[in-house]
Amino acid sequence: MEDCLAKKMEITVSEAEKRTGRNAMNMQETYTAYLIETRAVESQSEGQCAPVDSLWRRYSEFELLRNYLSVTYPHIVVPPLPEKRADFVWHKLSADNMDPDFVERRRIGLENFLLRVASHPVLCQDKVFYSFLTQEGGWKEMVNETGFQLKADSRLKALNATFRVKNPDKRFTELKHYSDELQSVISHLLRVRARVADRLYGVYKVHGNYGRVFSEWSAIEKEMGDGLQSAGHHMDVYAASIDDILEEEEHYADQLKEYLFYAEALRAVCRKHELMQYDLEMAAQDLTSKKQQCEELATGTVRTFSLKGMTSKLFGQETPEQREAKIKILEEQIQEGEEQLKSKNLEGRDFVKSAWADIERFKEQKNHDLKEALISYAVMQISMCKKGIQVWTNAKECFSKM
Amino acid sequence: AAGVPRALPSSGPKSLREMPHPLATSSSEEMGPALTPSPDLLLPRSIADKDLSLPNGTPVDTSSPASSSSLLNRLQLDDDLDGETRDLFVTVDDPKKHVCTMETYITYRVTTKTTRAEFDLPEYSVRRRYQDFDWLRNKLEESQPTHLIPPLPEKFVVKGVVDRFSEEFVETRRKALDKFLKRITDHPVLSFNEHFNVFLTAKDLNAYKKQGMALLSKMGESVKYVTGGYKLRNRPLEFAAVGEYLDTFSLKLGTIDRIAQRIIKEQLEYLVELREYGPVYSTWGGLEVELSEPLEGVSACIGNCCTALEELSEDMTEDFLPVLREYILYSESMKNVLKKRDQVQAEYEAKLEAVALKKEDRPKVPTDVEKCQDRVECFNADLKADMERWQNNKRQDFRQLLMGMADKNIQYYEKCLTAWESIIPLLQDKPETK
Repeated sequence: MEDCLAKKMEITVSEAEKRTGRNAMNMQETYTAYLIETRAVESQSEGQCAPVDSLWRRYSEFELLRNYLSVTYPHIVVPPLPEKRADFVWHKLSADNMDPDFVERRRIGLENFLLRVASHPVLCQDKVFYSFLTQEGGWKEMVNETGFQLKADSRLKALNATFRVKNPDKRFTELKHYSDELQSVISHLLRVRARVADRLYGVYKVHGNYGRVFSEWSAIEKEMGDGLQSAGHHMDVYAASIDDILEEEEHYADQLKEYLFYAEALRAVCRKHELMQYDLEMAAQDLTSKKQQCEELATGTVRTFSLKGMTSKLFGQETPEQREAKIKILEEQIQEGEEQLKSKNLEGRDFVKSAWADIERFKEQKNHDLKEALISYAVMQISMCKKGIQVWTNAKECFSKM
Repeated sequence: AAGVPRALPSSGPKSLREMPHPLATSSSEEMGPALTPSPDLLLPRSIADKDLSLPNGTPVDTSSPASSSSLLNRLQLDDDLDGETRDLFVTVDDPKKHVCTMETYITYRVTTKTTRAEFDLPEYSVRRRYQDFDWLRNKLEESQPTHLIPPLPEKFVVKGVVDRFSEEFVETRRKALDKFLKRITDHPVLSFNEHFNVFLTAKDLNAYKKQGMALLSKMGESVKYVTGGYKLRNRPLEFAAVGEYLDTFSLKLGTIDRIAQRIIKEQLEYLVELREYGPVYSTWGGLEVELSEPLEGVSACIGNCCTALEELSEDMTEDFLPVLREYILYSESMKNVLKKRDQVQAEYEAKLEAVALKKEDRPKVPTDVEKCQDRVECFNADLKADMERWQNNKRQDFRQLLMGMADKNIQYYEKCLTAWESIIPLLQDKPETK
């Protein structure tokens, strides 16, 4: 952790800007560009302020970076990006990607993403990542030149493996199940929270009507007038207070969303394991069948039914030379197969080991982060209650002066 | 002596002319033969710091039993002016359901405690149903047409929409009936009304009701219920102003009623969502190990907030809305009394005109015109006094009502605050410390 990039370099996504340009199909498009600023931390201790480097990136470049990291480090739970489109919105929030509030929250999310990667013991050392932060031009080309797209597993292949793998590591099976459940429960939570926010907004805003009617009523009263008027003012304050309260709550929702997307990253690691395990099982199966074939040829016994065996019985057996040749080929293949199996086994074990290490790291991070999120949520609720008490106490005092 | 009222010194079947106004400037010695001071008043009393006077400047005689203030009002906020000890206490409680072959209905216990001479016993306890309260109100309106009679809760309840026998409905009604009787008790004239006395004391009210059919007061016959307005020469300013005030006042109350209902509706919809929200945290807790307790804690916390919110909405429905509606009814009553007053004044003016047209030289004004004039003057005086007390009570009632509303909201937030504050330590708890 001491050597991770985050300690050596200050990283911020400080600004967002609307841009227009031409896309791949030469059509005009509008997009948002984000300013990434970096500054070396070490120089600051010398009393000088290190220079700030900056460059602009758009969301699609972040996506490219993440794809690269996911493929290159399949055993790592790669931090997720903030959502591409606004989801789980309650009525007042805009679902428009160009909406300034959405852009602002995305800016924060992108910064968070970079900080997560920079503080990851493995990911922070990646050169492509470093270039992303520091190299203005030609980064896209550089990433594509790594040829990482070729390493990516096809979706179909992964799905196939999921169904057919026989002996996956139980821990990964459980973990996959957990990540499915986590996704489901956080989605549900976010949806209901959005509805709760909607309703709460309604309750507060209707109180604003009291402000108006108390004011009108106070006009016809003598002794009661002042008390009513000032109480009405407090009702207006109450109604207005909900905007800030709910804006703050959006940050909590964003924290939950990050872990909703993290669940997907977790599942990706599990899938990779399944794929590797399936590959291994296939290779072992192949090896076994080749050994069997070899044995059969050598001993002349047919243990398993094979068309070739039958035809050779029917149409005459092969010459000893032909048989020898076949055996030799098979023996070569078997040797190759055994070496491959050995390395696949090793790969598989390495993968399980390093993946599990990162998963443990992730679990601790998740528990810590979510606890912090719940605490901050509770603090928000406490603040909201205190504000409510304050306003109603003020109103009560006004009423008492009636 | 139950069931047969003695002749009481109330403003009942006597001519207005004979009866001196309770708040008149006469000193205690000049009190008319109609009024007998209650025993308490003969004791030396401390007069409150303020000098009481009518709007027109004449000082109020606080020695009359009809003084409108009381010291020991158990339910209202202490804002009363003079130090007179109250001598009549009435309470409505203990609702009970009665199931008979013909119908099912609720009765309430009406308890009276008094030292007034007009009552044979110091304590009474009778059972009355809504019909009886309605009867009393009608009788009061008939026999005291120059006074403002407090309103009753609504008579007819739409069946199927509201359950007439639900605890909440019965309790709301009980409170309104209690308020009704207390307002009469507070009134310097109405509280001495014979029908009120019978209502409080009679074992068999129905027998008295049948008897009473024949005893309509003269006043009741002559002043009929009026729906339209009357064209008057000059309506005294204060009554015109009150009329206008009441129109706006009722409108504003209606608006507040609608707002309050809307808030309750929004709160209940919020509650529905909260009820789904809390348990999701619990489900999540079931998936986790280290986060299990914190998530359960949050779930429980939201559950507590739900309960608090439910209580708030219930309170507002049961305590706030009915009182608001009662005042709308009160305004209506007041407007009707104002119309009656207008009618009396119109009659007088008409008679006056008729006399002027006859061109009689005699300076003597005919007696019936004089009587009309007295009627007008008494009505004006009664009404003015009632309006003042109404304004004062209204101020107190709304002060209490709105402070109550603020209080309930404060309590709601305090309950939620406690819930959230109590889980902070749970959330911050490190596994090693367990």
